[in-house]
Amino acid sequence: MVVLFLCAVLEFARRGILEIKYTILWLITCVVMMVLSLQTTWIEWLSNVTGVHYAPSLLFLVAFLFSLVLIFDLTRRISNINHKVVSLSQEHAILLEKVEKLTKEEGN
Amino acid sequence: MYNRESKILIIVPSYNESMNIEQTLTHLSQLKTHFANLQICVINDGSHDDTSQKAKTFDVVVIDLPFNLGIGSAVQTGYKYAFKNDYDIAIQFDADGQHNVEDLIDLLTPIFEDEADMVVGSRFVEKTDYKGALSRRIGIFYFYFLLKVLTGKRFTDPTSGYRAKTKPVIKEFAESYPKDYPEPEVLVSLTNKKFRIKEIKVNMKDRQGGKSSINLVKSVYYMGKVSLSIIMQKLK
Repeated sequence: MVVLFLCAVLEFARRGILEIKYTILWLITCVVMMVLSLQTTWIEWLSNVTGVHYAPSLLFLVAFLFSLVLIFDLTRRISNINHKVVSLSQEHAILLEKVEKLTKEEGN
Repeated sequence: MYNRESKILIIVPSYNESMNIEQTLTHLSQLKTHFANLQICVINDGSHDDTSQKAKTFDVVVIDLPFNLGIGSAVQTGYKYAFKNDYDIAIQFDADGQHNVEDLIDLLTPIFEDEADMVVGSRFVEKTDYKGALSRRIGIFYFYFLLKVLTGKRFTDPTSGYRAKTKPVIKEFAESYPKDYPEPEVLVSLTNKKFRIKEIKVNMKDRQGGKSSINLVKSVYYMGKVSLSIIMQKLK
């Protein structure tokens, strides 16, 4: 699973669909998932330390928190992009009006 | 400082207002005889009908937004245009026929007499013949109450979009303006920034045709959303 996902990430990065900074994020995620699934002793040790009885539920908790942070960050980024799109379309519309006026004046 | 010779821009945001736009622009064009430097600017907010084509038959500036941005961003386009072209006064005027051209001179008087930075046309300063839907009135009263608590000031008609603004306010709005339902929110931000706001009496008709941008399902969501942004504005 993880290896498949890793291949997908690399392929999208190669095609330029995924930005490099996100590629890095997903590569790290892949590595962490791989290590945790191969080295089950680590997660068992961690659940002992934190007092979680069932080791996989700690894994789920971490995954859930990670997703939450990621989604929050994405909505923040979308708001930012939205704001930029609005500003751009406003500027675009105002400039378009100016260009039309100038071409009309030139025609006369 | 401001007088009848000042550069005045009337901003008419319109979204699918094909039914009303011609009548509105005919009324507004008559004002050009009263004011030397008056210009009308129609912001076509990505309409699917022939609002833009109809507006272009008049001697007005028509700005076509590439897609629907929502009322706040559409009006802000007008402020950006006003700011770039060095207008002294900007007035928002709805395309749906609610606003009265006759009230416009009253709306400008406090600005000419340097009594206010923004003048709001209110249906409730004195009793007028406005008969809006009950839900609309409840909403207006709710915002009146909320603004009273937050600013300590009385705004009898916080959702009224019929407003005249002076140059410093135009600059403010060109820089930042709320996206969807801006009217109550800017009252808080302008009060925070010590701008002088004055209300005067205007008459408003019910819509002359077309569809209102607010329906009943959306209004509860709208009230919550605007309340939140008003409170956020206060905390700035």
